[in-house]
Amino acid sequence: MYVWIWRHLPGNAWVKALSSLVLVLAIVYVLFQYVFPWAEPLLPFNDVTVDNGMPAGLVAPAGNGTAVAL
Amino acid sequence: MGLRLVVRTLSELCLTIGTLIVLFVVYVLYWTGVRADSAMEKEIGRLQDSWAAGPAATGPPTGTATATVPGEPPGSAPGAPTDDGPAPRAEHNAPAPAPGATARAPGAPDGTGTRPAPPAPRGGHRPGAPFAVMYVPRFGAGWAKPVLQGTGTDVLKRGLGHYERTAGPGETGNFAVAGHRRTHGDPFKDLPDLRPGDPVVINDGTTWFTYRVDTRPYRTLPTDTAVIDPVPAGSGYSGPGRYLTLTTCDPEWGHSHRLIVWARLEATRPTADGRPAALLG
Repeated sequence: MYVWIWRHLPGNAWVKALSSLVLVLAIVYVLFQYVFPWAEPLLPFNDVTVDNGMPAGLVAPAGNGTAVAL
Repeated sequence: MGLRLVVRTLSELCLTIGTLIVLFVVYVLYWTGVRADSAMEKEIGRLQDSWAAGPAATGPPTGTATATVPGEPPGSAPGAPTDDGPAPRAEHNAPAPAPGATARAPGAPDGTGTRPAPPAPRGGHRPGAPFAVMYVPRFGAGWAKPVLQGTGTDVLKRGLGHYERTAGPGETGNFAVAGHRRTHGDPFKDLPDLRPGDPVVINDGTTWFTYRVDTRPYRTLPTDTAVIDPVPAGSGYSGPGRYLTLTTCDPEWGHSHRLIVWARLEATRPTADGRPAALLG
């Protein structure tokens, strides 16, 4: 896989190394910006409330069913 | 040749997955904290800007036709914008103060002088907007976190979350606040260290509310929503009062239980008079 990518990058070794670096940084950015924020709420220690995501207008009247957060 | 390709691909896959996991751990343990700390600082800055703007900002918030504060009947309870109509505001409209805060600002139409009156009616704040700052000396002298309206995942990334159906700070009832124990800045990491007598101080821009912790941390199930009732079940409180409930998760990295701490309002003090004694000691 990585060999395949390396072969298909244009230019000499230095250009290839540079573009690999850029590719890696781009992937890390996408992961931190989009993928991990999406995945993180699936973990237990981010399971924030029992009324998870209940919009403001739909909040139950006082006395029943609401959240306790993490 | 075929075998070599298979082995190489497999090891590359393992390396990739390993790197991904390491990156994810870095994200959860470190990066969420970095993001949350800067978000919380920003929320506190927003609040302080809006408080500094004071009564001048009582005018209709930009961009929306609303009259929450001016439309309030002069004789109504101070700081009680209508429950049904928190002024809708654009997300980026940071400097506009929360309705509860503006209503009690000096010179606001309700200036009747009823000092201890509760400023923040439930539902009076736009969801996700900051409306107060919490100080807990037990968590460290510099520990100050914004309290935002609502307890959604997105809200709790930027500060502590106020359970929307519960009372506001200083109000009769239960001012219930949730926060992360781990990740996203770890605001309630030290919640288990709270002990009876510890102060929890809230500032909503006009008033300092000093609460005193009455219970040791109480462990309960996530479904036990009665702990944030106006008279919280399990707290030992028997009658109506001005209570504060802090909730976080338990165990530290799990979600099987919740940890609850209750406090009772001890004193209020106008912001203009300076910090309360609990924060000076």
